[in-house]
Amino acid sequence: MRRRQPSDPLPLSNQKPVDEDVRLELAQHIEFRTEELVAEGWTAEDARAEALRAFGDVLSVSKECRQITVRARRSLRRDEWFGALLHDVRFAVRILRRAPAFTLGAVMTLALGIGANTAIFSVVNGVLLRPLPYDHPEQLVSVFEATERGGLSDLTEPNFHDWRAQAHSFDGMAAYGTDIGTLLGADIPSRVRTAAVSEDFFDVMRVRPVLGRLPAHDEFRVDAPPVAVVSYRFWQDRLGGTQEIFSRRLRSNFDFQVVGVLPQGFGFPDESDLWFPIELYGRNESRTAHNYAVVARLKAGLTPLDGDRELDALTVPMREQYLPRFDAVGGTVAPLRDLEAGPLKEPLYLLLGASGLLLLAACTNLASSMLVRGAARAHELAVRAAIGAGRGRLVRQVFTESLLISTLGCVVGLGIAVLLRRGLLLLAPAGMVPLEGAPFDLRVLGFSLLLTLLTAVLFGLLPAMRMSSVRPSQAMREGARHSGTRQSRRLWSTLVAVEVALAVILLSGSGLLLRSFSAITRIDPGFRAEGVITALLDLPDASYADVHQAVAFHDRLLAVLADAPGVVAAGVTNRLPLEGNSPGGAIQVEGKPTLPAGPFTGYAIYRTASTRYFDAMGIPVLAGRPFNDRDRANAPRVVIVTQGLAEREWSGEDPIGRQFRVYGMDGGEEPYATVIGVVADIPHGPITGARREAYWYPYSQNPARTRSMKLVVRTAGNPAALAPMLAQLVHDIDPQIPLEFRTMDDRLASSISDRRFTMVVLASFALVALLLAGLGIYGVVSYTVAQRSREIGIRIALGAEPSRVQRLVQGGAMVVIGIGIVVGGVGAVAGTRLMRALLYGVEPDDPMTFGLAVGLLLLVGFLASWLPARRSAAIDPVRAIQSE
Amino acid sequence: MTHPPMPLLKGTLDVLILKTLGWGPSHGYAISRWIQQTTGDELHIEEGALYPALRRLEGKGLLDASWKTTATGREAKVYTLTAAGRRQLKAEVSAWSRYVSAMTRALEARPTGAIA
Repeated sequence: MRRRQPSDPLPLSNQKPVDEDVRLELAQHIEFRTEELVAEGWTAEDARAEALRAFGDVLSVSKECRQITVRARRSLRRDEWFGALLHDVRFAVRILRRAPAFTLGAVMTLALGIGANTAIFSVVNGVLLRPLPYDHPEQLVSVFEATERGGLSDLTEPNFHDWRAQAHSFDGMAAYGTDIGTLLGADIPSRVRTAAVSEDFFDVMRVRPVLGRLPAHDEFRVDAPPVAVVSYRFWQDRLGGTQEIFSRRLRSNFDFQVVGVLPQGFGFPDESDLWFPIELYGRNESRTAHNYAVVARLKAGLTPLDGDRELDALTVPMREQYLPRFDAVGGTVAPLRDLEAGPLKEPLYLLLGASGLLLLAACTNLASSMLVRGAARAHELAVRAAIGAGRGRLVRQVFTESLLISTLGCVVGLGIAVLLRRGLLLLAPAGMVPLEGAPFDLRVLGFSLLLTLLTAVLFGLLPAMRMSSVRPSQAMREGARHSGTRQSRRLWSTLVAVEVALAVILLSGSGLLLRSFSAITRIDPGFRAEGVITALLDLPDASYADVHQAVAFHDRLLAVLADAPGVVAAGVTNRLPLEGNSPGGAIQVEGKPTLPAGPFTGYAIYRTASTRYFDAMGIPVLAGRPFNDRDRANAPRVVIVTQGLAEREWSGEDPIGRQFRVYGMDGGEEPYATVIGVVADIPHGPITGARREAYWYPYSQNPARTRSMKLVVRTAGNPAALAPMLAQLVHDIDPQIPLEFRTMDDRLASSISDRRFTMVVLASFALVALLLAGLGIYGVVSYTVAQRSREIGIRIALGAEPSRVQRLVQGGAMVVIGIGIVVGGVGAVAGTRLMRALLYGVEPDDPMTFGLAVGLLLLVGFLASWLPARRSAAIDPVRAIQSE
Repeated sequence: MTHPPMPLLKGTLDVLILKTLGWGPSHGYAISRWIQQTTGDELHIEEGALYPALRRLEGKGLLDASWKTTATGREAKVYTLTAAGRRQLKAEVSAWSRYVSAMTRALEARPTGAIA
């Protein structure tokens, strides 16, 4: 096979192209020799043959020569390039060291920009871009039912089994549920995250135990002896990391045996520590009880849409067969990543975009200060051009300076990014960004290197071209002083306008988030959070096998708390406000027509509560009465409804005394209950969400879910101070209940902490951009005044009022600022549209926000141009004119 | 009496080239003739081998090369010894002399009492 010949590097001026060089030289040798032989009396033909013979193998010699020379010329070219680079860098270092203030300012400006971008990008990278740590994660999807109400819900157990059996789009489909349970039998009683999974789960996730085994086929049965596999972390931290674990009995929801340990880092779903066969939790044949979250693995090459279509098709006959006890209209398949990234996507991309704008503002700022410096250095550059430096050489020299600043900025910026990232993760709401989820990997480093190059081009190349285009004769004749030509002034104006525009955009965006946040904090939640402390009371199934034991526990605890010092009111409920909308379900209101979907009349959220829960949570009772001690298990069934439910079902009539029952919840037929009271609407999910209709049963009459209740205590003073006493009282009754207290204020705050996070970060970007704009304006106006001092001096000498001169100088700056504001306003109107989903109670084009942003910039712009412009009025005409 | 020509020792050609150019700039053919004439028929040098050697020395910076018009009006590639080349030549010549005199001493020595 013929090897490709290395290509010929361009020859220098006294060189020939390699091929020609070799051919000519060798041909000449043959020619000279032939001539000599002819002179000795050989015939021309013989002479040439002899010359060739004596020479040897011409072909291989010329090939060898060619290779040697190509290689030599290459390395020579490389050495020269590096030599010139080294020279440029040395020179740039010297120049920058001569102006330490400028260098420090420029490096820090860039470092802030690069640091902010890198920090945000590392979080985006960790949360949104990094592949999930599973085998072929792109095939993993979550499966939901599309409901009649237009939303998504988890799957019902029978629907899951049907879909799993019938769908061909998937290589496997597995159901899971998560819970937080109490663990006994390890070192100390503790809370533990558990998952209940169907048999396919480990195949779908493609996870194998590092120790022991997975639950066997026979163990995925309702009546099988309970077994579990544990996470690696759990095995290390709680079980001592030994092999002994297989002989130990542990207790959480069941007495169970550990049979295996999963690999390090595996915690799906929800960072679980224990995985049980889902069948241990019993069966539910209802096709309206949506209890199963589902993960599936798409067959290679298929998209979520293919899965969607197949599940939709499968649902049609199921629906015909099972109506009215069926409420799915189709299936929805979404990448698992969406589930994991969830609500972070929009704020993170918003912040990434904003940090990009900030970097652009930093570059613009630097470009204008480079220009100012360039004007000051015009003389030096002109001299260098005059003694023979080509334009390309000058551009390269000036650009090397920019690149050097960028590189320093990048190094400092990475340091800043490490700090900022730590700050971001501290500021971020718990669980929003897992700490280990935002590593500084190669991708992040690559990103910041790219930024460095980009910034060098952005802020360096333009001034480099400008500065190098100075005509030497002119610059040297006039001196540095007058080189601020009309053209470069226009360039400065553009840069200042861009800075102003960027600041307007960032200020408007953060203003909108600020207004949203303040609107959210003014929302009346319908309950009074201050003074309330809460805790989960998770009674282990093993010790409270009969729910009546759980009821007895709560009765006893609440009786003790009623007399406890510092306690204003105490209650329990199955779910706190803000905790989420489920469980919800169908209800049958007496005397109402049933819906087409089934023998029920509507939907509402199901809750249970104790007698004094509404007092404790501060939810006002608007009509009727709260629960009281007579609403016992054997008393007539009662229920309390939200105002919204009362209005929906009995609009304009008295809801008290009306009857309804829950349909198909927890299996079995529920008896009708009588409405005895109406309470205010409260947010069950996010505080900004719709207040969905809900109802509460006394837990004594609906005890099915009393093993896991939330304790709610309204206190007289600081609620957190009461926690130790409350813990003591709970442990007096049962010392094996793990407790973690949280105030309701804290829950409220953390429910909006992701919004606060986005707002704070964006607002700090906006402030930095505003600062940069102000500095940019100040710098350019100061320089203009210094440049034009002679002209100004003449004007004053000729009788111009100093104050008029000042207005003239400042007026010019304000026009530029005005242009920037208009451009930025247009950009902001376009940009803020993208953040609609993050706003609450304010429109993306809110005039007040925009007005404030514009006002703030006008103010800053005025101050930043007024300070230097004032100096123009103070110019002494005599000195200014003489100084030339 | 005639000997068969000896094969060239490795690196020897380089020294010969440097030595030739020590007299002054020259083109490849002239160098080749000079080496042949001074070594007579004792050394067997294939003429073609000269050119890669010249280019290697140029690559090492021991020689400079450029195309010039010769006295006969023809263009030829002329090699010149650089300062580095001159130093190299001096070092090689002295190393070579020491080598030869050491070898010569050893080969012409008479046996003494020490070896018996």
